[in-house]
Amino acid sequence: MKRSWWTRFIFLLLFTCLSIAAILPTIFDFNENNNNYFISSKINLGLDLQGGLYMVLGIDFKKVYKDEVATYAKKIVDLLGDYETKAEIGKLDLADPLDPKHTINLLDPNKLKQAVDQIKKSFPGLLRITGENAGEIQFALSNVLKTQIEEQSVTKSIEVIRNRIDEFGVTEPEIVSQGNDRIVVALPGVKDIEQAKSLIGKTAQLTFRVVNDNVGLGEINTWLTKAKEAGIEYKKGEKFSNYLDKLNSFLKDDLPKGFSLAFKKTLSRLNNSVENMEPFVLNNDVKLTGDLLQDAFTTFGQEGMPIVSLSFKTRGSKVFEELTGNNIGKRLAIVLDGNVYSAPSIRSRISGNAQIELGRGNTQQILKEARELAMVLRAGALPVQLDFLEQRTVGPSLGHDSIEKARLASIIGCALVFIFICFYYKISGFIALTTLALNVLFILAALVGLEATLTLPGIAGIALTIGMAVDANIIVYERIREEVRKGVGNYKAVENGFAQAFWTVLDANFTTAMAGICLINFGTGPIRGFAVTLLIGIAATVYTSYFVGKMLFELYMNKVEGEDLSI
Amino acid sequence: MIDFAPKKQFNFASMFGMTSTVSSILVVLSLIALFSNMKYGVDFSGGAEIQVKFNEKVPMGDIRKLMDREGLKGTQVQSIGEANENEVLLKLQGDETNLNQISEQVQQALAKNFSESGANIRKVDIVGPKAGSSLRLSGFQAMAWALIAIMIYIGLRFDFKYSPGAIIALFHDVSIILGIFAITGTEFTLQVVAALLAVIGYSVNDTVIVYDRVREHEQKLPEGKLSDHINLAVNETLSRTILTSGTTLFVSLSMFFFGGQAIRGFFFAITLGVIIGTYSSIFIAAPITLFFDRLKNKSA
Repeated sequence: MKRSWWTRFIFLLLFTCLSIAAILPTIFDFNENNNNYFISSKINLGLDLQGGLYMVLGIDFKKVYKDEVATYAKKIVDLLGDYETKAEIGKLDLADPLDPKHTINLLDPNKLKQAVDQIKKSFPGLLRITGENAGEIQFALSNVLKTQIEEQSVTKSIEVIRNRIDEFGVTEPEIVSQGNDRIVVALPGVKDIEQAKSLIGKTAQLTFRVVNDNVGLGEINTWLTKAKEAGIEYKKGEKFSNYLDKLNSFLKDDLPKGFSLAFKKTLSRLNNSVENMEPFVLNNDVKLTGDLLQDAFTTFGQEGMPIVSLSFKTRGSKVFEELTGNNIGKRLAIVLDGNVYSAPSIRSRISGNAQIELGRGNTQQILKEARELAMVLRAGALPVQLDFLEQRTVGPSLGHDSIEKARLASIIGCALVFIFICFYYKISGFIALTTLALNVLFILAALVGLEATLTLPGIAGIALTIGMAVDANIIVYERIREEVRKGVGNYKAVENGFAQAFWTVLDANFTTAMAGICLINFGTGPIRGFAVTLLIGIAATVYTSYFVGKMLFELYMNKVEGEDLSI
Repeated sequence: MIDFAPKKQFNFASMFGMTSTVSSILVVLSLIALFSNMKYGVDFSGGAEIQVKFNEKVPMGDIRKLMDREGLKGTQVQSIGEANENEVLLKLQGDETNLNQISEQVQQALAKNFSESGANIRKVDIVGPKAGSSLRLSGFQAMAWALIAIMIYIGLRFDFKYSPGAIIALFHDVSIILGIFAITGTEFTLQVVAALLAVIGYSVNDTVIVYDRVREHEQKLPEGKLSDHINLAVNETLSRTILTSGTTLFVSLSMFFFGGQAIRGFFFAITLGVIIGTYSSIFIAAPITLFFDRLKNKSA
């Protein structure tokens, strides 16, 4: 055999061994936490196969816009006051709830033009002046600002939902935005669907806790390493509060008395999984809770930097004054659902309204942070009103039945194809069969490797791929037969057959791939699973049916030199 | 060598007149059926579907009576799957706010009234009208994008004179499949959209293989007639076409019959697509290319 043949053969062998290794945990149902084997993941079953909950939540921006436009009205009145133009907040026009308008009344109508210029200069691109006459200025939010608000509401809502889902212990939750006003939540394997639904919609627990900054980050990290060595580590699918409880009870002798650890989680932009956890040592004594808070909104501080302003209810205001008075110089953590969101320092004893400064720098960036923090504070519940647009729940027994049936049907279908191919193409048929078997193996291994999800339409996609993958073999074999009929020698016939069929095979698979790509963009859960297996299948088909097929043919030709081809 | 393909050369070009007439009539009938009689599944129409499995046979009438008592008169009750599986599908109508509540109510009522028959809720799908209409839109968009992408690809890889044939053939396939869905009263669901896209990929695959041969002949014999090239190409690829359709049908039919009720609609569309797609790449895509070629030569 030629040297290039051996290179390709070794590549195939390596690939095959790796693939077999990849699917072993799935076939023999290895224990997830068995770390002795180097591949720990099994094929992920989709919601439709293992049961679970799929939801599409729609965000209602009406209230967000209303709050925002009212906040700006206050800001404008303050701003004009600074330039000695007395103004009052006028009425709110909600005729179009998606574009609320607010009026500002000037006490001196002659200053109208000056005031309008001032507003335009101070909020460039953020506000639209929608009407001005005789001392009245009406404004609305610009589209740029609205888009910003939408993006932030979605990001924040995802973060809040994510934290609650972590509380529920789902292994592979999917929480992603769809378009600019939707959030998709997929929770495979969830048994108690009612609880999951209410968890997402419930009111969050907001608390304020004093940070112990005497403990250095280095010390905390030593504790965390110690805990990790003792097997206390946050694992995917574990309840986050369980982890915190275990961690805190393990470290109770190390932690200062009356304090416990909490984290500020940062989500990855890519798939909203937890990317980073910043530890805080917090006082267990919660003096102030969210129900004592009146309101929170973004405004601008003395140097024109965005800040968050808080106002408290009567009782809250007293508690807050005492809390800040006793802890000057320390940080106060704002904790929502057990997760730290922000930890500003206490500068002085605060009576009345409190202001949180977020530092200096890029105004846009800080404004964004300020708005997010205000949302969290105001939230109590989710930052925005969510509607359940779509809900799909699948019981585990249905998925089990579906798998059984689809598996049986796939086996019957593929067996028919295999028998036919061997009968029709004889020895060459066995080559085709080998490539098809490798095809299935590679598809399954790719599902493990890419951590893709196998859905019911996905199984259909694999079966269909086998039906269609034969096509590549058939195209080549029919070409070889044509060459044989022409009376070309065996070697030449095989060589020509493969060479002429190359572009045809590629074209044919490419067009199917394009349909698959369009489907990925459109698809929800199960349908996307179909598109993914279809695309993986196409790649596997081109490799196995064409390249591996050619390799095996070369081997076969070598063995039967001079005899008739069995095709 | 076993050979299913006939040795005789068929004169496909002579049949093009008849097949295009028949296909045009079928497409028109399908479009009428599609717009007048299509049954949209819960994905597109909005509403709620509850799938229940009982341990023993429960008369449909009993469930209907229960729904009437609960004040849900419009509820459709139908049995699905094999008869011995005792599975029932309930279809409810409503809007975003009350669908959730109604389906809760139904689940509780079933659990209470059929406790001895073991009402096991297998699946609940609630799709608000808003979500339904946006799913419908994105489904059609996905199909449109696929068609555009394929048209451009064929234009670039071959020649833009081939594109219209491939696209019209695909349009023909999709509308006839949808027409058959409408006439047989099979539900049009998200899965069917996925199946249609797979069919689009499959059918254009067939067409491409014929075009590939046509181009090969054109290069070998540039002075020859396009109709002769097409005829030869179709004949040469005939055995491949029959074999590939055959193996794909083995799979799609066995999935249709044994794969369970959950993917039956999907494979119904695939099976139809394989048959119609094979037909259209021979009898529709080729004559249309011929037609556009003649049009071009006339104007030139």
